[in-house]
Amino acid sequence: MRDQNYQELVKKVTMYLDNELSERDERELLDEIQSNPAYFKVLSQEKHFREFIKSKIRRKPSPALIQSIKDKIRVTPV
Amino acid sequence: MVQMAKNKDMNGKGDRVFEEEFLPQIDALYTFAYHLTYNEEDANDLVQETYLKAYRFLDRYEAGTNAKAWLFRILKNAFINEYRKKSKQPNRVDIDEVTNIRDEEDTNYSSYLDLREEMFQGMMGDEVTNAINSLPVDFRAVILLCDIEGFTYEEIAKIVDIPIGTVRSRLHRARNMLKDKLKSYAESKGYKDKRK
Repeated sequence: MRDQNYQELVKKVTMYLDNELSERDERELLDEIQSNPAYFKVLSQEKHFREFIKSKIRRKPSPALIQSIKDKIRVTPV
Repeated sequence: MVQMAKNKDMNGKGDRVFEEEFLPQIDALYTFAYHLTYNEEDANDLVQETYLKAYRFLDRYEAGTNAKAWLFRILKNAFINEYRKKSKQPNRVDIDEVTNIRDEEDTNYSSYLDLREEMFQGMMGDEVTNAINSLPVDFRAVILLCDIEGFTYEEIAKIVDIPIGTVRSRLHRARNMLKDKLKSYAESKGYKDKRK
C-alpha cells in the first residue's frame, strides 16, 4: 500500500473508531475492510492500540478536596 | 426583601445544579487535571478553581445541558491561564514547531505497519504514562479528551476552542507521536519484528 493511501486509511479507521464517520463513509470503509485483508489488519491494529492506551491510563480526588470545594461553594455568593 | 428572595432562589438552583450536575464530574475532571499537570497539588488547585468559577458563572450555564463539556472547558482555560504563565511545563514545545516537524515525518507511514500486538506485551502503565506525559500538552489534551473521556470531535472543538478539522488532525498526529514513542521504547527493550 502506498504511504499516501495508508495515511488516508488510518485517518478513516481512526474516525470510524471514534464514531465520527458519516453513515455513507462508514459503509464504504466496512466494504473495503471486508474485501481487503490489509485494510482489516490496519483496523485491528488501530483498535488494539486504542484499547491498550485506554487500559494503561483514572485518578480519584481526595475526600478532603471534595469537602474543601463544598465548603468554599457554601460561602460563595451566586 | 425581593433581592433576598431572588438570591435564595438562585442559591437553591445553584445547590441543585452543583450537587446533581457538577459534582458527579469530579473524578473525570481530576483525572484530566492530573494528566495535564502531573502534580497532585496542582491538580487539586485546578479542580477547585474550576468548581469555584463554574459556581460563580452559574447564570451562564443552562441546567440539563452538557455540564461535563462546560466544566472541562473551564478547567482547560484555567490551566492555560494559570499554569502556562507559571511555566510549569518546561518540556512544552510550541505547537507550530511540532506541526512542522511532523509534516516532514508524516510523509513516511510505512514504519507504522509493524505496530504489532506483541510489541505492547509486557509494557507497564508507567511506560505508557511517561510516553503520554512527554507529548506536548496540546496533543496530550486531545488524546485524553477523546480516548479517555469519550468526548466527540465537536465537543473537543468547543472545549479546546479550535476548529473541528484541527481536532481531527491533532488527534491523528498525537496518536502517531505516541506510537512512535512506544515503538522506540519497545525496541529499546529488545522488541524485534518477528516477520523479519
